[in-house]
Amino acid sequence: IVCQPAKILNFLRRQKYNADYELTAKQGADTLAYVALLEEKLLPAALHTFWVESDNYFTVTKPWFASRIPFPLSLILPGRMSRGALNRILLTRGAPPLYQLQEVEAQIYRDAKECLNLLSYRLGTSQFFFGDTPCTLDAYVFGFLAPLYKVRFPKVQLQEHLKQLSNLCRFCDDILHSYFRLTLGGTPPAGPESVDANLRKLTQLVNKESNLIEKMDDKLRQSPQLPPRKLPTLRLTPAEEESNSFQRLSP
Amino acid sequence: MSLVAEAFVSQIAGKVPFIHVGNQVVSELGPIVQFVKAKGHSLSDGLDEVQKAEMKAYMELVNNMLLTAELYLQWCDEATVGEITHARYGSPYPWPLNHILAYQKQWEIKRKMKAIGWGNKTLDQVLEDVDQCCQALSQRLGTQPYFFNKQPTELDALVFGHLYTILTTQLTNDELSEKVKNYSNLLAFCRRIEQHYFEERGKGRLS
Repeated sequence: IVCQPAKILNFLRRQKYNADYELTAKQGADTLAYVALLEEKLLPAALHTFWVESDNYFTVTKPWFASRIPFPLSLILPGRMSRGALNRILLTRGAPPLYQLQEVEAQIYRDAKECLNLLSYRLGTSQFFFGDTPCTLDAYVFGFLAPLYKVRFPKVQLQEHLKQLSNLCRFCDDILHSYFRLTLGGTPPAGPESVDANLRKLTQLVNKESNLIEKMDDKLRQSPQLPPRKLPTLRLTPAEEESNSFQRLSP
Repeated sequence: MSLVAEAFVSQIAGKVPFIHVGNQVVSELGPIVQFVKAKGHSLSDGLDEVQKAEMKAYMELVNNMLLTAELYLQWCDEATVGEITHARYGSPYPWPLNHILAYQKQWEIKRKMKAIGWGNKTLDQVLEDVDQCCQALSQRLGTQPYFFNKQPTELDALVFGHLYTILTTQLTNDELSEKVKNYSNLLAFCRRIEQHYFEERGKGRLS
């Protein structure tokens, strides 16, 4: 398993896959610069939206991640990731003269909105950042923008701002359509709706399971995996166990 | 300015670089640029929106890579810390404050490095990142006099500041400045700015 963008890119390049083959030296340099811009300006706000903002974290992120991690790690890891995110934000952006968390938050969202504007200027009317074929920078930007664009959060200030930048939205939709085969309806699109409904169902299931765990210890120890979401993501358990545990826990 | 006085004044301002205008002290590049802009001067007025986006992206690259690498070398490389950094950082203060503050600063920087994922990097990996950054800057500069052709912008100032410091600061380990010296157009860029804007000082430290 390879994680983190830089390591994934190195791994793919060693396997002789390189999306930047056709770029000039200057475009390669630009890629590096824009990646640094994203990590410095957009990442803190993205981390905040997913992991620190309490409404978002408790309603969406925590149940979502907890559902893919086996018990008992599902109780520990999301909390740790949330604390890590807050730590990172405060250590990198919390230097004086910003002392209050609200001031830091205001600053990181300002920076993120400016970053989105800069990306929008850079993209202009082209289909991808460097012409007609996608490259590493497109993948990087998509990786940041798509969750911000599509996930339904209660607190959505960054998403609202992103939706006003129509070329970035079009960019995300194009890639989702071409590479992930998600169908796009009118507004609201069908994809996020079913994600939303599934997440709600899942939250209920997770709550029910934690109650059941207190009562039925033996039977649940045999099936430690939580029921999967009905989304095209990686499967962690074999098919039979999934359907068995799902049937046992549904009402 | 002597090291002691510089360190003392930077404590008031909080961070370097800083400017002292009348009875106002403005520190760090971002606020200084905004302050000067509010007074009606800006180096990047002639750029269009796409170029401004590019300039900001390159400034972040420099901050991300060069600044972090400089901090790493100063505070996480044991040889440099022991011989140079502790002594330099603690110089304005009496004993034992000089040791305490230096260790506190080192702990703070190491925490920050760990939070951004540089905690486990070796010196070689850091030098490789610096090399990548210098390569990107060198490719962007090409054969032009400044990054956005004829006129210097904030990016030129930032890059000059970092590269000049790297090239002229004596450390136990010369590898960082060697990495920069590999790129002749970056060296020429620094010399050009030094001669053009600082030549009244008389001595050029880069030649």
